This record gives sequence, structure tokens and C-alpha cells, in this order.
Amino acid sequence: MARSTILIADNSCMIRKGLRSILQNLENSEVIQLIDNKEDVCGIVHKRKPDILIINPDMLPGDCLDVKRELFNENKLSLILLSNRKNLKNDLKADGYINYMDGQNTILDMMQEILNKNNKSSFPNKNSETISSREKNILKHIALGLTNKEIADQLFISIHTVVTHRKNITQKLGIKSVSGLTVYAILHNLISMDEVK
Amino acid sequence: MRIKKDMKLADVIQLNYMLIPVIHRFGINLGFGDKTVADVCRENEVDINFFLQLVNAYHDKDYFPKEELQTIPVKNIVNYLKMTHSSYLNDKLSEIEQKIISLQSEDTEDQKYILLIRNFFEGYKSELTEHIMHEENVVFPYVLAVEEIIKNQNFTERNREIFESFSIEKYEEGHNDVEEKLMDLKTIMIKYLTPPANSTLYHTIIQDLFKLEEDLNYHSRIEDKVLTPKVILMEKSICNLI
Repeated sequence: MARSTILIADNSCMIRKGLRSILQNLENSEVIQLIDNKEDVCGIVHKRKPDILIINPDMLPGDCLDVKRELFNENKLSLILLSNRKNLKNDLKADGYINYMDGQNTILDMMQEILNKNNKSSFPNKNSETISSREKNILKHIALGLTNKEIADQLFISIHTVVTHRKNITQKLGIKSVSGLTVYAILHNLISMDEVK
Repeated sequence: MRIKKDMKLADVIQLNYMLIPVIHRFGINLGFGDKTVADVCRENEVDINFFLQLVNAYHDKDYFPKEELQTIPVKNIVNYLKMTHSSYLNDKLSEIEQKIISLQSEDTEDQKYILLIRNFFEGYKSELTEHIMHEENVVFPYVLAVEEIIKNQNFTERNREIFESFSIEKYEEGHNDVEEKLMDLKTIMIKYLTPPANSTLYHTIIQDLFKLEEDLNYHSRIEDKVLTPKVILMEKSICNLI
């Protein structure tokens, strides 16, 4: 799965760095840059195209109600507002809110929810599936020691297809090396131990 | 936390127990009471500067020595890395292998599967051995030659030959492949094998594999963060020499 990228914009270096260190507990995401200057926000957002922008409303250009549309029309971007103001939700519309007083778990839960939502739209639950019968067949050939070319020839498919299958198999099983895949194939009776050379 | 010379060595070990085999490779034995890092180094005739850089690079992923780098002779680093290698080859790998073998002798029903694990581990072992041999036979002689050229500001016939046959860049490239097999072995044992009757021993083996992996990561950090940058600097100044 691709890692989600995050930008943090706030005037206070303690807030920026503190938040970054909290967000290190999130999986599959990375804080790519911290912004300390209001003038830079637009430029950096356009250049780095993050998945998530966490920003203090004071750093937003203009005090507009629907900030998101204004700023990043063309980007697919989740906006999270970061502030010590209490009733921010009523004033400004965003995908999420972080208050300076929020505890670590509250922040992480909220972020996780946003990450899940984002990933669902772009990746249709590909994680942790078992391998398909087509992939099992490919795996069997890999375990028998055939090269990509040989597998492609035997199954009448292109090398490119073999490579794609291999990638998916590796991703699903968490095993990269040929010898590891071979052990898996034997354990699951795809091939017998005597067949392996 | 940065490890400094006036800290007690005992506190350093409390901070990170993975350093126990490291100090052992320097010939330092446990039981040093309240002595500081500097004391112990002096007694064991270990270069304090080198020791500090090494344990800090082990201890902290983000540690990167810059100026200090220049001062350590490559020879010291290479000697240390060789000691690490021999501890892998002579102790760690065979320890794990022994455990797998005794797992095999205990149970009847699972023997087939344990044989698979054993063969896999053998494969890993020979790959790692090959990698280590490459470092000892090609990489280390190369960096030692580079250091000698710098020292003498001059090429001998043989050094020029070695210098032209290799570059540290090539070394950086082929560094990740060995780890793959170890990770696969762990994955298979955790996800796909039904543990044999002696599950305690089985668990110990998995934990040993994790520790080995961790130790290897530390080890390659020394190679990547201490040795390689230093050699890159030296290569540059040799190119200027030519």
C-alpha cells in the first residue's frame, strides 16, 4: 500500500514537531514537511501534493468559510484544522479537527479514520486475501524453479503478466525469496518435496 | 540518548543490551563494576573515540558521525567488522542451526517440515557466508589499499590494481539481498508452520532469528554509516591525487 503523505503547518515549532512525533505512531503514513510560514503554504501544497494537510487556520490564506475548495481545487486532499480554539467546527468546514488539548489517542484515532477512508477509495480491499487459483498455479511453477520466461511460455501468457502475478503473490504471502515461496508451496501441497531440485 | 565517555559502562548496557556482544568483540568482559566507558577502554587498550562512534551508531539509528569520521583508521573499523563476521560464522549461525537440528531429532510427525526449515536455513547460511567472504576478500582489501594510498600519497603497483578494480559504490548496491531470506524464514515460521511438539524450542529459534536480524542490521549500519562514507571521502581525495 502506498504511504499517505502529510504536511503540517503551524507557527509554533513546538506544535509542529510535537505533532510530527505523535504521528510517527501511525502506520503507512509519513510527515513529509513542516511549514512555518503562511506565505509558503500554497506553494508547498501545490508542489508536494500531500494526501493530508494539517494546518492552523491562522496559516490559511484568507479567512474563508469553505477553505478547502478555495485552496486546493484540483488536489485530492484531506484537510485537518489544528487549533486551540474551541468551537472551530462551527466556523470552518474540514475533514478533521485537532485541538491543542486533545490527547494522543484522540488524535491518532481521528487520523487513522481519515487514512482508512482515503485508502478505501483508492485501494479496493486488496490486503490479506488468500491467493487465487491462478496465482497458486504460478506459484507452483516458481517453486519448481522455472524462470519467468519459462512460466510465460508454458502457460501461454506474457512475461509481464507473470511478473504481476509474482508481485501479488509476494505481497499477499509476505514471502519474497524463491526458496521461501518453495517452502510455502510444499507446506500447502502445491508440490511435493521430491519435485524440488 | 548519546553515549559519552564519562558514562558508566554498566549504564550503557542497561540502556541497550544489544551492545553486550559489541563490547565483547572489543575484548571487554562484563563485571566492570562502576567504571566509566573511558576507564574500561583505557584498561582494554581500545581506542575511545572509535568505541564511542561505534556504540552510538549501533545504538541510535539516526546517529551520524561527521567530523569524528576522519580520525579513525580504516584498519580499526575493518578489524572490528572482521570480528563481528567471525562471531556470526562461528557462533550465532551454528547455534541456531544446532537448535533446528535438535528440534528435528525430537519429533517424528513433524520431521518433514522441520527438514524444510533446516534446508532453508542452510541456504540462508551459505548465502550469508558468501556475502561475508566477499567483504573479507574483496571489500576489505580494497578499503585497506585506499587507506594506504592516502597515507603514502602514492600508488604501489598492487594498490593501483586494487583501486581500479573496485569502488565502494558497487558495495553499497548489493547489500540488501541477504536480509530477504532471513525475513522469509521468520514469516514462514510465524505464519505458515504448525509448531512442533517442542514449542518452547521452536519459539526460542524464532526469537533467535529476530535477534540475529537486529544484530545484522546494526552491523550493516556500521558498514553503511561509518565505513562507506569514510571510504567515499578517501576515494575523492585519491581522484584529486591522480
